[in-house]
Amino acid sequence: MEEYKVVGKSCSRRDALSLVMGCAKFTDDLNLPGMVYGKILRSPHAHARVASIDKTEAEKVDGVLGILLPEDVPDVLFNCGSSPPYPAYVKDERILTAKPLYAGDRIAAVAALTPKACEEALAKMAVRYEVLPAVFDVRDAMKEDAPLIHPELFKSNVFKKTEMKQGDVERGFQESDYIFEDEFHIPSVQHVAMEPVSCICDYSREGKLTVWANSQVLFHDRRILAEILNMRENDVRIIKPFMGGGFGQRQQLHNQPVGALLSKLVGRPVKIINTREEEMYASCVRMSCICRLKFGVSQDGRILAYHVKVYGNSGAYCTHTPIVLGSMSKKYQYHAPHYHFEAFSVYTNAPVAGAMRGYGNPQLTLCREIMMDKMARKLGIDPIKFRLMNHVEVGENFPGVPFTVRSCAIRECVKRGEEIRQEIDHKEVFLPKDSNTVESWGVAFGCHASGTTDNEGMSSSAVLVHDDGTMTLLTGTSDMGQGSETAFSQILAEEMGVELKDISVTAADTSCTPYEQGSFASSQAYVGGNAVYNAAVDAKDKICSVLAKYYGIEPEKISHKKGVFTVKAPEGDIFLSLKECMAKIAFGKEGTAIIGSACYKADRSPAPFHVCWAKVAVDNTSGVITLRHFIQVADVGTAINPDIVKGQLHGGTAQGIGLALMEQIEIDKTANKPSTSDLLHYKVPTSLDMPEIHVDIVKNSYEPTGPFGAKSVGELSTVAVAPAIVNAVSNATGENSNFPTPLAKVFLLGGNREDFFY
Amino acid sequence: MGDGRIRIKFELNGSERQIDVDLSDSLLDVLRDDLGLTGTKRGCDRGLCGACTVIMNGKAVNSCQIPAMRANGKNILTIEGLAVDGKPHPLQEAFVDEGAVQCGFCTPGMIMSAKALLDQNPDPSDEEIKVALSGNICRCTGYVNIEKAVRKAADDIKSLDL
Repeated sequence: MEEYKVVGKSCSRRDALSLVMGCAKFTDDLNLPGMVYGKILRSPHAHARVASIDKTEAEKVDGVLGILLPEDVPDVLFNCGSSPPYPAYVKDERILTAKPLYAGDRIAAVAALTPKACEEALAKMAVRYEVLPAVFDVRDAMKEDAPLIHPELFKSNVFKKTEMKQGDVERGFQESDYIFEDEFHIPSVQHVAMEPVSCICDYSREGKLTVWANSQVLFHDRRILAEILNMRENDVRIIKPFMGGGFGQRQQLHNQPVGALLSKLVGRPVKIINTREEEMYASCVRMSCICRLKFGVSQDGRILAYHVKVYGNSGAYCTHTPIVLGSMSKKYQYHAPHYHFEAFSVYTNAPVAGAMRGYGNPQLTLCREIMMDKMARKLGIDPIKFRLMNHVEVGENFPGVPFTVRSCAIRECVKRGEEIRQEIDHKEVFLPKDSNTVESWGVAFGCHASGTTDNEGMSSSAVLVHDDGTMTLLTGTSDMGQGSETAFSQILAEEMGVELKDISVTAADTSCTPYEQGSFASSQAYVGGNAVYNAAVDAKDKICSVLAKYYGIEPEKISHKKGVFTVKAPEGDIFLSLKECMAKIAFGKEGTAIIGSACYKADRSPAPFHVCWAKVAVDNTSGVITLRHFIQVADVGTAINPDIVKGQLHGGTAQGIGLALMEQIEIDKTANKPSTSDLLHYKVPTSLDMPEIHVDIVKNSYEPTGPFGAKSVGELSTVAVAPAIVNAVSNATGENSNFPTPLAKVFLLGGNREDFFY
Repeated sequence: MGDGRIRIKFELNGSERQIDVDLSDSLLDVLRDDLGLTGTKRGCDRGLCGACTVIMNGKAVNSCQIPAMRANGKNILTIEGLAVDGKPHPLQEAFVDEGAVQCGFCTPGMIMSAKALLDQNPDPSDEEIKVALSGNICRCTGYVNIEKAVRKAADDIKSLDL
């Protein structure tokens, strides 16, 4: 393999110093001249009709500048989920509504001189609600007599079926020696990005709108905003300042439409920052779901048939749900000649489901990997061996996926992880068998995608090469902490043969960075990286052709390698650095500017893979689970920046631990709304909750279609974390039970966790 | 609006400051909104996430939970006050070097908690580091590199003192 100068090397995030010094500006750190504040009146009821609203007293509050009611805003239906405009994205929500469908729905909005005046005004809004019956559980929502959530759009709360078929699954079951079936209830969790959803909207007198927001998907936000506000896209400018995490929560519009209309109303820039409580109940959550899995397996342990049925709880609105469910079907990394995937999107009055790291994959992988362990146990086969003997290899396809796997180092992941596990076992003696605390390991496999699995990934980049040989990369993508701007700089530096310091980045501003699909679906390293690579190639081609003109020779006589341009001139070879080339190009008599640009449209989405091991200790008396070690080894192809990749693996591990052991959105059945609406009642892992974490990246994986061989990592890192933990607990307790039952017994809930499922 | 205003005096990042604050203002409100020190972040406003951590009279506190009046006569250190002559504090350098920063929103609060720890305990154990940081939520890093950075900074500070 070729030795790279910049790619494959670790370097700090390019903007880390600003962040540690406290001078990086996040949206809430920006203050525009004349800026005021906005706040949204949210429904306290999960399902209701607004009988009347009186804003008289609210308007009298000192500092209040304007109030918007449902009748004051355009009555358009839209889908806030910012993705390409697929028909599956049902347009079912309003900017402000008089018929709230979940506790948190937007009823009215106020703009005032201070946040305190906003709060006081909201408290003085006199709203009379006619409360309607609400449902939170998909099973209740599917009953004949269930209240319809969107009667004007659908005559059932099941609003979409997503299906994929390969072979004949019933025949597959008939041919199988063993049938394994199970049902799992996966609860909802929240992203808890540390920076709350934030925006500043400035609607100018000329009818142009500028939005500063922590968004992952600027261009889709722009399209949807322009559509619902009846504007042209070039009159809407969206800028992403520093962004404090995303994890999918910001793959949709939040308060921007309200902010834009408030700004238009009061003629001043309006800042809206979610409170943490609004984040928890009124932004979006990871979709909860009921999953039924059925496997048909031969006597010698080959999976012959796999049938999945998923009921996804979309909450009050569609947003991403049908696509989240559909993408679940494409992450099945084992063989199954007969495969049938069915998923149902179900409306309820629960908090709205959105995109979250893994986009459905962690939920179904959790169920599947628990079953893989159970099947291996029943068949008397080692769980790792059972997985490997069924695993898709290079040259084969995932069931139901049209493109072939070109890189897969799952066996190397197993080998490396087992080495780490043995080192740990060598150092730490297991507790004696008669001890009250039982220790055990558990394992799980996972994979993800590099960009959307429907081949819709698209990114574009431009490289402005300056006359001193330095350059500026223009990219529309949002770096939300994952380090994409740093990785892009490395790809560009490598291809142009320059140093990292020669590259600056202008990113995520719809007025000056080229169109692309946004930071989601783990698409940055692969889709975005390919666009950057192609733009670099284009810049070099342009430099060569201008140099050819300069020297009066054919462009083919100029070549470039590792920062040196070689000109095969009649008088002999001339070697030029990029700086020397640019001096000739910029200042020569035929002076010109070099702008390399390229678009990358993906025709595939290569899967990265990982294997996870958890070592737990379970106290037999109290049932308390202690997570001692967690190992995660990943195949991400070439790691553009190994330290950044490892950072992703660390963070994904922490979020998976939260899903398995700590986090769950709970609905208070009396109040009919979430009780986990702050960080006191909703626990995310802190430093004290973390086990010893061991991560590694396998070295001998190369994705031939990726930039310098790279695949993705962001979402992968959390996919198989939870099942490894659940499997370890099952191995320790010997229980043959489903998630989250084994955990329910020992955690806060003290009963059947299903009671809390909605 | 508030119930009235009161003048407070305190030492902020080494300089005496005097400012009129609303009785209902938190220290975080005053730092961010009145003094423009936006390095201190507002993550939950309930004292549960640690993003707003500053050091008050040597102790790490959630500034969102401190009534501004209580800062009167106190010594307050924020992330903006850590650098000496523009040179980053060893903790800030270690956070960069160890890859302890992803989105960076929790970082200022995390660094202030770590600073309070190292000021009192220059050679903390791994467990003491975990405990000191346990009031600061980070959703990106899994805390691994943050703990490494605090360890490294402790070593760096010791070697500077020698």
